[in-house]
Amino acid sequence: MILDLARLTWTFLWLSLICVGGGLGVIPELQRQVVDRFHWVTAREFLDGYTLSQLTPGPTMLVSVFVGYRAHGVPGAVLATAAMFLPTAVITAIITRHWATLRDRPWARATERALAPVGIGLMAAGVYTLARTGVHDWASAALALMAGGVMFVRRFPPVLAVVFAGLIGWLAAF
Amino acid sequence: MTERVRLSRLVQVFAWTGLTSLGGGRTAYFYDAMVMRRPWLTSHEFIQDLTISQLLPGPSFSNLGVALGVRLAGWRGGAWGALAVLVPGALILLALTWLYFHVGFTPHATSAMRGMGAAVVGLVFVTTGRMIRAAIRDLRSLLLSAAIFLLVGPLHINTALVIVLVVPLSLWLHRPRSGS
Repeated sequence: MILDLARLTWTFLWLSLICVGGGLGVIPELQRQVVDRFHWVTAREFLDGYTLSQLTPGPTMLVSVFVGYRAHGVPGAVLATAAMFLPTAVITAIITRHWATLRDRPWARATERALAPVGIGLMAAGVYTLARTGVHDWASAALALMAGGVMFVRRFPPVLAVVFAGLIGWLAAF
Repeated sequence: MTERVRLSRLVQVFAWTGLTSLGGGRTAYFYDAMVMRRPWLTSHEFIQDLTISQLLPGPSFSNLGVALGVRLAGWRGGAWGALAVLVPGALILLALTWLYFHVGFTPHATSAMRGMGAAVVGLVFVTTGRMIRAAIRDLRSLLLSAAIFLLVGPLHINTALVIVLVVPLSLWLHRPRSGS
């Protein structure tokens, strides 16, 4: 039990460290570890947990809550989530803080200019992956178009478009 | 570093934006909340933080919370920023996880989740378009970001591998030159 809890924590820790470029890239490896290797969740549960974590507020990697809970209840959820987020958050804080003091040097500016297209490209690839799973027929395409159009209306909170689309989905199931 | 935004205000806006960013593509909501609706950051600054949070190890959304928090209110901003984007969502997900394993979900709930997922694609698409317009100023950057998009998106090449290959190339192409 304790050993497996340690294994759970360690698995999420090293997965967080190979999570580069948005997190979507690590999903296949995460699935291999928690489903095939340690059997904390079944493949079906993993898919449902992943969808849930995508649709609830906060990062998709909070799927650690779902897997951790299934494996060892609330302590499992807390440990897996802390392992996933805490070490990398500390690394980010240290690096961004130091970067702020270097920002005005010519090489730092050049680095930022060089990295911006990389960030944009990764973001666009994330949209592509999201669209592949989220838009699969004309109804979902219409909902996506509606939500995109709403973004051009000032003062209209985007979350309302999402809630509205959820309502339509709910009614469509009748 | 001076605090650009009061800590209590930062936690409030981060938590609210985090809580209302339903359905994936959270970065889009933050861009909307901090660049489009509030004068907290310029588009350029946001893209810097976004890029750093994507390149460093770890889930990029919590990294973004840390990076934006540090920029807006120092160390404490980073710590509180991360907690504000993580804790509310973690508690909601814990409740839903409990429901899933002990009660079960109806088809209606699944269908509602699908509808929300589709709407999010529209939101994220528009925001990414805005960021591309703000950040991509020359052919070189356009080609680099298009290459990354193609390799990581449609071609499914391992993200870490693509970063290792493309970042040095981009650094070399953007190297500071004397006189510039």
